[in-house]
Amino acid sequence: MTAKKIDTNSITLTIDGKSCQGSKGDTILNIARANDIYIPTMCYLTKVEPIASCRMCVVDVEGVDGMILSCQEKAVDGAVITTTTDAIHKQRQSIMKLYDVNHPLECGVCDKSGECDLQNKTMEFDVAGQSFSAKEPHRPVQDWGFISYDPSLCIMCEKCVHVCTQIVGDDVLAISAGGYNSTIINTKQDEVCSNCGECMSVCPVGALVSTDFKYSSNAWELEKIPASCSHCSAACQMNYEIKDTAIGNTQKKIYRVTNNFEFSSLCGAGRFGFDYANESVSKDSDAFAKAVEAVKKAESISFTATITNEEAMILQSIKQKYQTKLICDEARGYQKFLHAFSSMTGKSLYSGNLQNLSTSRGIIVFGTRINDDNPMVKYHITMASRRQRARVAYMHPIEDSSLQAIITQFIKYEVGSEEGVAALLAYTLLDAQKPTKVVQAYLDDLDIGNLSAESNIGEEELDALLHSFDKKSGFTLVVGADIYTHPKAENIAKILGLIQAYSDFEVLLVPPATNSLGVALVCDLDDEVEGYSVGYNTKADFVLSALGNGDLDMPALNQQEGSFTSLDKRVVPTNAGLPYGGYTLNDIANALDINATNTIDYTVKLPIENGYQAIEFDDLPDYYNSVGEEHRGYLLTQSRYKKNGKLDEVSTLPTYDGSVIYHCNTNTQFSAFTNNCEQLQTEALLRGSAQFASIAKLQDGAKVKFELDGVVYERVFMIDTLMKGTVAINPSFDMGLSSSTVSSYRFNQPKLETMDS
Amino acid sequence: MSEVVFSTWQDEFIDNRGKSSDEWGQSAFKLPEDYTADRRSKAFIGWDGVAIFQEDIDAIRLATEYAAQYQVYSEACGRCAPGRWGGRILFDLLDKIARGEGTTADIDHLKEVSETMMLTSKCEIGRTVPKPILDLMEHYKDQFDYVIDNQTPSKHYNADVNYIAKVTAPCTDMCPAHVDIPAYIEGVRDMVFSESLAATRGTMPLAHTCGRVCPHPCEDACRRTNLDEPIAIMELKRLGADYETDHGLGWMHPFEPKPLKNDGKKVAIIGAGPAGLTTAYYLALEGIQVDIFEELPVLGGEVAVGVPEYRMPIDKYNKDIELVTSMESVTVYSNHRVDATRLKEIDAEYDATMLAFGTRLSKKVRAENERPDMDGYWGAIDMLDKVNLWSKYGIGSSASEDLKDKTVVCVGGGFTSMDVVRCSIREGAKKVVMIYRRDEKTIIRNTTYEEYHEAVEEGVEFIFHSAVEKIYDENNKLTKLLINKFELVPDPNGGRAQLLKIEDGDFEIETDYLIPAVSQAADLQLLPEEWEIKLTSWNTILTNGKDYMTSRAGLFASGDCEYGPMTIVNAVGQAKRAASVMSRYIYDGKISLTDDEIMEDHLNKLRVYDKKEKVTGWMPGLPRAESEKLGVDERRDNNKEVNLGFTGEEALAESERCMRCYYISMVAV
Repeated sequence: MTAKKIDTNSITLTIDGKSCQGSKGDTILNIARANDIYIPTMCYLTKVEPIASCRMCVVDVEGVDGMILSCQEKAVDGAVITTTTDAIHKQRQSIMKLYDVNHPLECGVCDKSGECDLQNKTMEFDVAGQSFSAKEPHRPVQDWGFISYDPSLCIMCEKCVHVCTQIVGDDVLAISAGGYNSTIINTKQDEVCSNCGECMSVCPVGALVSTDFKYSSNAWELEKIPASCSHCSAACQMNYEIKDTAIGNTQKKIYRVTNNFEFSSLCGAGRFGFDYANESVSKDSDAFAKAVEAVKKAESISFTATITNEEAMILQSIKQKYQTKLICDEARGYQKFLHAFSSMTGKSLYSGNLQNLSTSRGIIVFGTRINDDNPMVKYHITMASRRQRARVAYMHPIEDSSLQAIITQFIKYEVGSEEGVAALLAYTLLDAQKPTKVVQAYLDDLDIGNLSAESNIGEEELDALLHSFDKKSGFTLVVGADIYTHPKAENIAKILGLIQAYSDFEVLLVPPATNSLGVALVCDLDDEVEGYSVGYNTKADFVLSALGNGDLDMPALNQQEGSFTSLDKRVVPTNAGLPYGGYTLNDIANALDINATNTIDYTVKLPIENGYQAIEFDDLPDYYNSVGEEHRGYLLTQSRYKKNGKLDEVSTLPTYDGSVIYHCNTNTQFSAFTNNCEQLQTEALLRGSAQFASIAKLQDGAKVKFELDGVVYERVFMIDTLMKGTVAINPSFDMGLSSSTVSSYRFNQPKLETMDS
Repeated sequence: MSEVVFSTWQDEFIDNRGKSSDEWGQSAFKLPEDYTADRRSKAFIGWDGVAIFQEDIDAIRLATEYAAQYQVYSEACGRCAPGRWGGRILFDLLDKIARGEGTTADIDHLKEVSETMMLTSKCEIGRTVPKPILDLMEHYKDQFDYVIDNQTPSKHYNADVNYIAKVTAPCTDMCPAHVDIPAYIEGVRDMVFSESLAATRGTMPLAHTCGRVCPHPCEDACRRTNLDEPIAIMELKRLGADYETDHGLGWMHPFEPKPLKNDGKKVAIIGAGPAGLTTAYYLALEGIQVDIFEELPVLGGEVAVGVPEYRMPIDKYNKDIELVTSMESVTVYSNHRVDATRLKEIDAEYDATMLAFGTRLSKKVRAENERPDMDGYWGAIDMLDKVNLWSKYGIGSSASEDLKDKTVVCVGGGFTSMDVVRCSIREGAKKVVMIYRRDEKTIIRNTTYEEYHEAVEEGVEFIFHSAVEKIYDENNKLTKLLINKFELVPDPNGGRAQLLKIEDGDFEIETDYLIPAVSQAADLQLLPEEWEIKLTSWNTILTNGKDYMTSRAGLFASGDCEYGPMTIVNAVGQAKRAASVMSRYIYDGKISLTDDEIMEDHLNKLRVYDKKEKVTGWMPGLPRAESEKLGVDERRDNNKEVNLGFTGEEALAESERCMRCYYISMVAV
């Protein structure tokens, strides 16, 4: 028998007579919550530091004079705590009386009514009337774009400001303190605000509401459908909230998206981009028959990674039966990259995840314009930056001014030089580590001076990078989509694999589209379309489309149940927010004798050898527990991978002189689906610096035409004064079925043709 | 002792109303009975009670105005439910009563709201504001009853009385620069680091510097000490400054600097050390043209050439300096020595001049055969100049050429001597000895615990209760020292213990260097004799310590040349005040203080921190966060910064220990 390990970090306290375990540093409130003991709060929000503005959570601690703020005060071993006494109840009641002073009695029309903390606590503490008042200043409602702010409803809990500062990192909201005139202010209006709506989601009252949703429904009339966001690989937890479109129109409509804001977050696209369903579709049996025939005879099926794991499984089954080639530009590069990466690490998956990213003290971001590519990753970097004072190095050819307050070092490299940059990184980070002899020899052979010159990264920048990580622990390297389609992607993958294998860094390979990881793990992908092709949300000879413009309609992801494989390597369930009247991919498969009653019958069949588990869809959990631990679906199982990677010599770097165009969508636009959403509407512009304009000889407002990967873009060019350098940014979200057809490296030098405007 | 009609200050109870003058009790506190020499105060009301100086007081209006001031101070209120609503209701109800419209129910509501504020408010200001109001309601009940019963305005409701208020905190009051410490800690707590920095820079431009090398007198007045341990106030200051520097953000000023006035008015500053930089910064914020004259080729004064890199990295200090020199209205002339002739020119050309040239002469140890021209006798200031000019700027040559494998004896006991011995270790000296007259406890008190222990770890040998009696030389080269040993003999009558020389305790130390670091003096040669500038008894420039003007009109002095060798924060505090006085003087030719400054001095005299006060409403026993330091082997042969600063989590945990002890006080004049 082994001696029981004594956890020196563990503390025991008594709360309301119950013995409770916790860890040093835990607050009284969190230990109480973990033990299902209720303490009322108005301002507490688990995902940010304690705000301590409401004072409702005061408790009694034996032997300590006065009332103790349980949300902020750390528990001490052996403490005896009483959560409610008559005296405490009286003070809580008194605070509720104060909150209710002059609070407009407009619950009848307030959006928050029915889910309002103020309403609930007013009832709970039995405040029936107002026996005193204060002189009320005029507080007009403010329009902040996606959001309206009504200061007279605001209780100054400060949750909104704290999420904006500590999670989103936009620093848009601030407190204008001034006694009773205190208010929340929007310091930047919508100029730098990423319109994420986090502030609104955490508002406990009706002060911050969606301008679109306002006055459209009572909260209690809405049915909550739990789902996962389909717009990017973070696949965040969310709920579609639905009810009848109108009186007399029983067709369901999504009124809004909410989420478990206590523990998780959403970006603007997730929160406001919900109305992309393929609606009013009925079963068109002629089109269906043609589709079945098309699939049967197709030599290739091309598709986007914006599909569920189950659909990927169906496509894989079709391939197995008919040897059809499967083409997915959004997953193929990533799949090859992951395999090459694993061939050096010996593990099937990368090591990083969002939770560890948010607690890292040293972060390198490489090969992604992360704030646009994956806002959720950016949020977690913000958390690390603010809470851990993390050193954050952002390595990219284009400076991103929206990240200035988050990053501590911007390392600019030449477009195309990513292989050299990866080598320099490995050389720098593995210095003083002990890799194998082979690896050491590889590193020793690198011509650092040359790599440094060609990538334009100074050795002093690398020294500064290394120095900034001195005496720190907890490191994450975030790698993004620029790299997966680089001509030397596989060698870069191997070099970065060394960093995971031999340094303290965890590596997070951010999947480029919603389910790129799932598709990469489920499908045997091919490189190029050959012969007759069927496209699923892409252009092809026969098009299956959830965008409503193909040969056969398909359900959009908010009309489907199934699962995604998120960047956290988690298989998360999603449910249909809206019904769908047409045929699905599973119907086609059934017609081809690949039988399954429902699409979700494939959940249990996802490939175990690639980390999936044999769990039925209906058995996938989907909740956070009382202290915020995520129980959504399950985590992929990491398996061993053959460590047989061979490193190539770093090749001569191609040069990209002159003007360059970078393929990148904007912060709230990810795809043709987000482009269909009413609130997210924005013009797709070619944006570049004044320097770019002068090199490319473009005037601000000029119309230009160019071709990338066979897709012709016609764009208005806009000079973005926040940008620098010779690279312009071109989105593709407005390109419909061609939106996802960027299979080549993200940086290009197409011929720019000026058009008459 | 103060003459009062009535006082409840700090739990005393004095009520002289209706008593004959020989029965009058006096207050035990230094209350501001006289607001200024020619203005008598009517009453003083604050966090710890109320004192009435004149019989004919309108207690209701006094209470109302106090509640109103609480509404005015934005930094103090609006951040918690009891404070935000409660404060407003206090004022509205009191004003209603004062107008003659109150009811007895209002009195009940006032008591109810007060109780909630006192028990649950976030900051001490919310918890303390009701106290004197309740005191007045209790002890001046007749006034309240009268106006309620008769529905009449309070007796001086329309009288023209000045109510002058000030928010402070025990730490802020103790800080010589009166930094708004709770605000910068709150900025860290909220992770709005830019606000933290802006709060610091309200009175302290050297946020990097005083976030690293301040001896933090504030921590001696931290109320958290009454509960467990003081907050690590100084180290939390770094966060805001590091944030601005790390992210390459634009300068965060306490307010938008005013554009250069270009009205022909200008101020000269002699010396670009902490006092000079501070004077320049606060004048520049007002848009006043400032020219700084600095003798050395580098800016920053003694902190640049005296304080070593491992304690105060120059790239960080340079950020503080750049903050000042980047201001539109500041011009710097370095390598510009000001002598008496030049000073007369400057004095004639400028509307006011600040002397901030520090104390740059090393004092002697007063030993036999002590000759500064002796080879091996090296003044601490010169020695540190050489070390720092080379290691920070590459000027001159490396001091290791002089010190490598040598023996160094330093005589001192303060920060400068610590810098000497620790630099000597880093320059490769083989043996480093500190001779100190008193004991270990005293050296820690005079410097810091960390400073002493780190020096010991690095290999400095401390010889306590000792002094140099005689210096030996051969051909003018220093060879050895004769050291006397002393012992501390307690006074049998309970007086101060005496240092007595131990007979036959003498010993000799062979050494290559003797570095005196006992104290420094101001080099006063630049003062024209005919000006007859008044000096203190220890030969520094005399001012009244309030407005910092010297005996010559328009000539000001601050920092070490005024006070004698003291701390950076002391220099900053003096210079900040002086800049304010100068900003008015150059326009009206008068020496004046603002109400805020007058109140600051009153409160300082009264003392804000009460170490006997019992703190309630906070969990005791939460340890103070300790930042990580470089290990001795990682630091003793290089100039890397020793203190790595707080991690994010440590900083947050530490900032959450802060109790936000804001207090508001008000004088009725």
